[in-house]
Amino acid sequence: MTVDTREFGSAAMSFEILRAALGDGAAARLGRLAFAGRRPIDTPNFIGITSRGAIPHITPDNVARHLNVGGAYMALEDFIERPQQYSTRTPPIYEIPPTAKHQTRLHSFTAMPPSVTTVLGARRLPAVASPMGNTKSSVSVFTSTGFQALTTAEYLAAAQSLQPDIAVPPADLTHSPITPNSKRALRMAERTDEWLEEWFSELQDSPTPVTTFAPVLPIPYPIQWEYLSRLAEDYLPTAQLAGLALYDPDLLPDLASFVPALLPLPRLSLSPPSTPHHILNQIALGIDLLTIPFINTVSDAGLALAFTFPPPTTPPNNPLPLALDLTAPRFATSLAPLTPHCPCGACTTHHAAYIHHLLAAREMLGWTLLQAHNHGVMAAFFAGVRATLAQQDGAAAFARARGEFARAYEAGFPLGMGERPCF
Amino acid sequence: MASNSTFTSPALAFELVAKCSTTRARASILTLPHGTVNLPIFMPVATQASLKGLTPQQLEDTGCKLCLNNTYHLGLKPGQEVLDAVGGAHKLQGWSRNLLTDSGGFQMVSLLKLANITEEGVRFLSPHDGSPMLLTPEHSMSLQNSIGSDIMMQLDDVLVTTSPDKARMREAMERSVRWLDRCIAAHKNPDRQNLFCIIQGGLDLEMRRECCREMLARETPGIAIGGLSGGEAKDDFCKVVACCTELLPDLKPRYVMGIGYPEDLVVSTALGADMFDCVWPTRTARFGNAITKHGVLNMKKEVYAADFGPIEDGCGCPCCRPVDEEGSIGITRAFVHHNAAKETVAAHMLTLHNVWYQLNLMREAREAIIADRYPVFVREFFGNLYADPSNYPSWAVDALKGVGVDLLET
Ligand SMILES: [Zn+2]
Ligand SMILES: [Zn+2]
Repeated sequence: MTVDTREFGSAAMSFEILRAALGDGAAARLGRLAFAGRRPIDTPNFIGITSRGAIPHITPDNVARHLNVGGAYMALEDFIERPQQYSTRTPPIYEIPPTAKHQTRLHSFTAMPPSVTTVLGARRLPAVASPMGNTKSSVSVFTSTGFQALTTAEYLAAAQSLQPDIAVPPADLTHSPITPNSKRALRMAERTDEWLEEWFSELQDSPTPVTTFAPVLPIPYPIQWEYLSRLAEDYLPTAQLAGLALYDPDLLPDLASFVPALLPLPRLSLSPPSTPHHILNQIALGIDLLTIPFINTVSDAGLALAFTFPPPTTPPNNPLPLALDLTAPRFATSLAPLTPHCPCGACTTHHAAYIHHLLAAREMLGWTLLQAHNHGVMAAFFAGVRATLAQQDGAAAFARARGEFARAYEAGFPLGMGERPCF
Repeated sequence: MASNSTFTSPALAFELVAKCSTTRARASILTLPHGTVNLPIFMPVATQASLKGLTPQQLEDTGCKLCLNNTYHLGLKPGQEVLDAVGGAHKLQGWSRNLLTDSGGFQMVSLLKLANITEEGVRFLSPHDGSPMLLTPEHSMSLQNSIGSDIMMQLDDVLVTTSPDKARMREAMERSVRWLDRCIAAHKNPDRQNLFCIIQGGLDLEMRRECCREMLARETPGIAIGGLSGGEAKDDFCKVVACCTELLPDLKPRYVMGIGYPEDLVVSTALGADMFDCVWPTRTARFGNAITKHGVLNMKKEVYAADFGPIEDGCGCPCCRPVDEEGSIGITRAFVHHNAAKETVAAHMLTLHNVWYQLNLMREAREAIIADRYPVFVREFFGNLYADPSNYPSWAVDALKGVGVDLLET
């Protein structure tokens, strides 16, 4: 590993690789991703996942105040429902005027603080598999009023209108746990390839640029190699391509071997890690920015994340839990923070007994405070990862700490007993 | 102790700042163990030690200096043992300002159909396991002492005001007086917690007067008018409030329990009341309702889907204040509509707005009283709420006429 600085970017975006992997191209790296007007994001890092434009249970003022997240993932399907009696209405988000504070429609509609970088995708994370499937010019999306077809043209128009900082063009995905057969996989690659070609050719004559992170499909490299080489050969030299959105980070070693030209691009993972162990795996593969749906789900289950990176220096006799079930009776009178020394907004003003009470009483604030804590723990975790990577022998130190982490903590999350808030 | 304009007792000071020269409205400063509070005031209800998803910091930012917790709920969860271990409800919820608690009796009677009142206390079946339980004045005091509220309420014998049983009404009134004596005797922290009496007597003004005299003789630091959120006609409600305030001393805070519609606040203030509480503003937020000076708007209606204005024009709450101002969130009606009944944040934003509306209404009322222009304020308030004066509620017109304000005068 060497200390070097490489810059990649445009007027709107810059990505600086502060410490790149040397030799085998797919490895953890340190970087900084910055968009004009937004708070720069030191990588590796994660972005929050919104539901209908909001980080669940957190009002936008508290996103700014308590949530240490640099970015937010938004799904277009959360904004384009067609209520039965008003099926022809234009989705209001396409019509909202930007303001001096919220200079894009996406920020303006969701009141997301201006410091937060936005990422737009067609589908939620994770997405509900559609029984209808995609067509050659549309993806099937799931809105609050049901499944509907989103044409690739409407999606591009939406990206131009909403002006997210990062747009992920449509990909032909199944959103199913079943691996597609090779015929289907090949069609996924061909369609995504065509859609991206269309996307960039439309954008060529457009006055509104869209910072594009091209999808990398969750299918074997040999099936999508043509598509991926086109990214490197056609769209990279023209600076149309700004980054990669990977639905399977395990493809990074192949990318490093076969299309090394793509390596300087920032890499966003849209593959949901199921535990922090999986997060470390993605980081080790060279992912810069992660999306982590489990943060929202563990909060809803009444769990407080309880891990740190690097792990505690004295290895425990038994693996530690990754999260604590705050509904457990032992928290009823605990005046301690949710986890020791936690600097999050919930722990600095409240204690475990209050969260325990709120969960027992099914008060909405319990979920708000857990969200603040869980996002805070995750922010500290990534800061720890970056500090480790920044050491003299960063790669070795990270590998070592990752091994210790695997031994220090349990493999999976405990089952949370919290019930969804009533509201 | 009382000077010309100030009353002090061990855990409270009350300073009368101004009196309206027309109505009975008053502006005052109430100093409690957790800070000073400007009256008149609306107090939001954080039933289970939390205000519908707002963080205590968000609540503090609305300017709230005094909010409610419900003794009945806190007695069940987290329970007295936990409250004692944690060190009270302020500590439990991270709230450094003032708290007021009810006695728990009213909620028992209204939530538990099988509650049954005897001289000893309120008998009921535990909602946990159905076992018979008893809430006595002593037990209510003990719970409220554990909670550590700045203002505690006596246990009273609550009867719906519309009850036709005169004998039972008298019994309830007299029993409430006896229970106050038991509460005073059982109250362990009079140096740092205030116990307020509650005037009962239904709609019988003579009985109310009698109750006032008995309660006043017990010299509690503050006085509540109780039993009034039970569905009586608004005319009757106003008569009871007016009848009581007439007899109450100038230099003690007066709390009308359980009311909270904006019209109720404005009229009751004119009748000389200082403190109000109600769950309605926060409960209605969950159903997508925004309180505005032009009435309640339901944000779920399609007409707001593409309305990019604030929840209420001119509102100073963090959701609505102009987007270029410090602390503005920049929430639009469209975004509230988008998430109403779908994401909790929509309820949180409306709660923030509604609480702000209620607190601000009382702030403006107070300023008007100090400037001795409360009648003008009242007229403006009703003018905003009803486009056509012929729609003014007659109970409000009559009640205000009784204190020298003619709403229909042009
Ligand atoms: Zn924390
Ligand atoms: Zn407002």
